Amino acid sequence: MEVLAFIYLPYLCTGILLFGIGMRAFIWLRTPVPLRIVTTPAPKSWLGVIWRYIGDLLWFPNLFKSDKLLWGAGLLFHLALWIVLLRHLRYFLYPLPTWVEGIQTVGLYAGYIIPLPVAFLFARRLLLDRLLYISILGDYFALLLLLTITVSGLLLQLFFRTYVIDVKDMILGLIHFQPRIPGVHWLFVVHLLSILTLLAYFPFSKLLHAGGLLLSPTRYQRANFEKRSVNVWDYPVVYNPENLSTPEKYAQSLKGTGKGGKE
Amino acid sequence: MRVTFPVPPIKIRASEHLRCYPAKAKDMVKIDLPKEPVANWKEVMLKKMAEVLDKYRSVRLFMDICVKCGACTDKCQFFLGTGDPKNMPVARADLFRKVYKKYFTLGGKVFGKGNEAEELNDSVLRDWITYFYQCSECRRCSVFCPYGIDTAEITMAAREIMAAAGIATKYVTEVVAKVYDTGNNLGIGPEAWKYNCAFLEEDLKDIEGVEIKFPVDEIGAEVLLVPPSADNFANTDTMIGYAKMFHAAGISWTTSTYCNEAGNFGLFLNYANLKKTNNRILEAARQLKVKKIYWGE
Repeated sequence: MEVLAFIYLPYLCTGILLFGIGMRAFIWLRTPVPLRIVTTPAPKSWLGVIWRYIGDLLWFPNLFKSDKLLWGAGLLFHLALWIVLLRHLRYFLYPLPTWVEGIQTVGLYAGYIIPLPVAFLFARRLLLDRLLYISILGDYFALLLLLTITVSGLLLQLFFRTYVIDVKDMILGLIHFQPRIPGVHWLFVVHLLSILTLLAYFPFSKLLHAGGLLLSPTRYQRANFEKRSVNVWDYPVVYNPENLSTPEKYAQSLKGTGKGGKE
Repeated sequence: MRVTFPVPPIKIRASEHLRCYPAKAKDMVKIDLPKEPVANWKEVMLKKMAEVLDKYRSVRLFMDICVKCGACTDKCQFFLGTGDPKNMPVARADLFRKVYKKYFTLGGKVFGKGNEAEELNDSVLRDWITYFYQCSECRRCSVFCPYGIDTAEITMAAREIMAAAGIATKYVTEVVAKVYDTGNNLGIGPEAWKYNCAFLEEDLKDIEGVEIKFPVDEIGAEVLLVPPSADNFANTDTMIGYAKMFHAAGISWTTSTYCNEAGNFGLFLNYANLKKTNNRILEAARQLKVKKIYWGE
């Protein structure tokens, strides 16, 4: 059992994550973008596109236009999640960079914050009729998974203090392919297993939305309409004899008018 | 002043009865589509769906990355007007997404209904016909979506797929067929177009006292003007305006009886007809040997 949870599953789930993301990116990149469908106003240069992406990734301007409450909750959640993730680098890096050490306290507070927006997003799905209508099991599952991860992590920090040297030993062991089984509280196993579930679920679900944003034709394209856009799978037009006016018939009629048809 | 609309509470199937008239066989033949809905529509549609998913990254990506945040739910005018939840952009896309999941994703194949996947059956098709023709492809939702998901792309894909199986609406197919017969959406024939132009010439002479031409099919003019056909029929003031402008600027110009329509209804049907309708502008320009095309709606 312990071998499964601490050794096989971490490798398996990380493998699924990397393979899944690779697969998704491959399918998206393989599929052509035939037409220019950029949402205007849009930047004219690549530099402008990069600038807009920085905004999209950090500030969610479209969401700000749409729904202020949702924007606030979404931004708070993503920001706190990033800080917590960076804080967790201390279990993965040896020797420890000073900046990771520096954000430990901030990271802890960020951890306390995460359940609030997650609970709000969950409640919103249940209380707003439109949201209840569009929500599917996967939406609730993702939120519950995040809640489980955060709450178990916070409990480990507050009440069931885990000996972090053991945890770091285990993770570094996995990284260096010398896996070891640590002696830890069962709550840590809950924390670990829910994270591994998330890793394996990630590439097959909507959670890969950030990657998709970077390849979204309406966002990455430029508004350089003066330059011709060529459709890679374009094909020649074939005229249907059923139609009353074809180019040939038009050419015939032009000759009849005597309006410089001899040119 | 900023006008805000109250967001209506959802009313299940409130606009389900608002369905377009089906296309007529005589029009479908002219626009290279099956005369009537084909018997094996399911196979045809799924085959076309696979093709569309491989040809348009937009469609496949938008199917995959929607997080159902709900930012678009109160942005579509068709939802604000009807309260029908299937007119929310995300729900409209879901009509496509559930079929996509069922046949093209692992999660849909394994978990089925639990993962919102659904077979392409009669009731799904009925929803497609109803709700993909209650979208005006205005792309307002894409402005508000944090990932730029453009429901118009999905509507266009769904209509393309339905059209392949001979399912389309009378309004759109009739207009496209008319373009191939008369060169414009309104069905104004070449003689009527010329007569209208002569009539406007007279009118303009009466008003301004100046001889200003409305050239038709002039080979070798500098500019081919492609107006919306209504400008020569209903909004004639606009047509008179074009003539005055060209006269004042001293630019030689012409309209064409082969193509005098800037609006392209192929956009509301499928790629082949979109391309073909646009191609008429190029054909007209080549035949008339013009240097420039002025074209807009």
